[in-house]
Amino acid sequence: MISSDVIRGYNDTMILFILLKGESYGYEISKNIKAQSDEKYIMKETTLYSAFERLEKNGYIESFYGDETFGKRRTYYRITPKGQVYYKEKCEEWNITKDVINRFMKETDK
Amino acid sequence: METITTYLDNMFARLPKTAQMIDLKNNIMTNMEDKYNELKEAGKSEHEAIGIVISEFGNIDELVSELDINLDTKEDTRQTITKEEADTYLTEKSKSGSLIGIGVFLCFLAAASLILINQLVADQIIGKDLSSKAKDVFGLIPLFLLVAIAVGIFIYSGMKMEKYAYIEKGIHLPSSVKSYIQQKYDSYTPTYSVTVIIGVCLILISPIALFISSVMGENASTYGVVILLLMVAIAVYVFIYYGSLREGYGKLLEIDEYSNHTKKEEKVIGAVASIVFPLATCIFLFCGFVYSLWYIAWIVFPITGILFGMFSAAYSIIKGNQE
Repeated sequence: MISSDVIRGYNDTMILFILLKGESYGYEISKNIKAQSDEKYIMKETTLYSAFERLEKNGYIESFYGDETFGKRRTYYRITPKGQVYYKEKCEEWNITKDVINRFMKETDK
Repeated sequence: METITTYLDNMFARLPKTAQMIDLKNNIMTNMEDKYNELKEAGKSEHEAIGIVISEFGNIDELVSELDINLDTKEDTRQTITKEEADTYLTEKSKSGSLIGIGVFLCFLAAASLILINQLVADQIIGKDLSSKAKDVFGLIPLFLLVAIAVGIFIYSGMKMEKYAYIEKGIHLPSSVKSYIQQKYDSYTPTYSVTVIIGVCLILISPIALFISSVMGENASTYGVVILLLMVAIAVYVFIYYGSLREGYGKLLEIDEYSNHTKKEEKVIGAVASIVFPLATCIFLFCGFVYSLWYIAWIVFPITGILFGMFSAAYSIIKGNQE
């Protein structure tokens, strides 16, 4: 299991990654994150929804009600252009972070 | 599934009920439901599915800090109660309603027995061998005995309800419990309406006992008074018993007339009621015994009722206007 402390700064990036492929709703996003991480990371409900709140407040995503033909009304999310820019920044940031951290890891294969 | 609903209710219990919060909670609920259904379809047992869903919920504090909720200023000091607690409260409330009803009934019975015994003695049906002094005291014995029992019952039921004082102060009801209570209340309302109608009819027809008995003879009218009092007593018992259960529902559901907002108003009206009605009974008994006005003295009850109704309506309106 990955400790949530390490991954905290990148939860938002993961959600944006999923949304880049198209609009989606809460459970689908968390399922996709689980699949994308090969079931190594499961995002908790509170983490997911804190991230939605934060991303929406910053204008990186938008929410809207999807009209379900059957079943319940779901809140869908889509990424904004601002969110796409932010995602790219985070990717660059991660490349540097990864490089820096790796320099301190003995067991990594160079 | 109900376990998950309750779990989420409890998690959100201390958070403010803003539109944003309700929306967020509904979203999370949908999310958890989806996950639960999928786990069940994948062949997990009920227990396993619930376990996984709850373990993947996370920590509510994460949401609290993200949403910038200041729990200190908006803190909900009201207690959250469970379905079982709500059920016990209603059972106790109905028991205490019955006890208080019986107590009040006994008070009426005490007055009736005094009148009855005095008349029986006067008609020389009982107590023929007693001295005239003993005759005077004779009727008072059941009066005091019955009133003493009634007071005992009042104190006992008051003490029993004391531990539910926190419910009367206002509580927080999780939505699943709330809908359960609401359902019970809805099915109770018709019963309540019928009992009020029965009670009112009893009071309205009670003077008939007096008319009939006065036709039958001078002395018989006193027995009519006894019957009138008993009919009123039954009606009052019905009002108190069914009213108290309704009040219990009202307090749990925080229906307007029982909410904090109007509690003060209720207290004033309640205080006036507790003075006015015993006073009316005193006047009734006084006029009856001292001036032998039994045939007309009963009129104080409907008059008091109407005046009191006017007072409480006027008071509510005036108070309402002030706000």
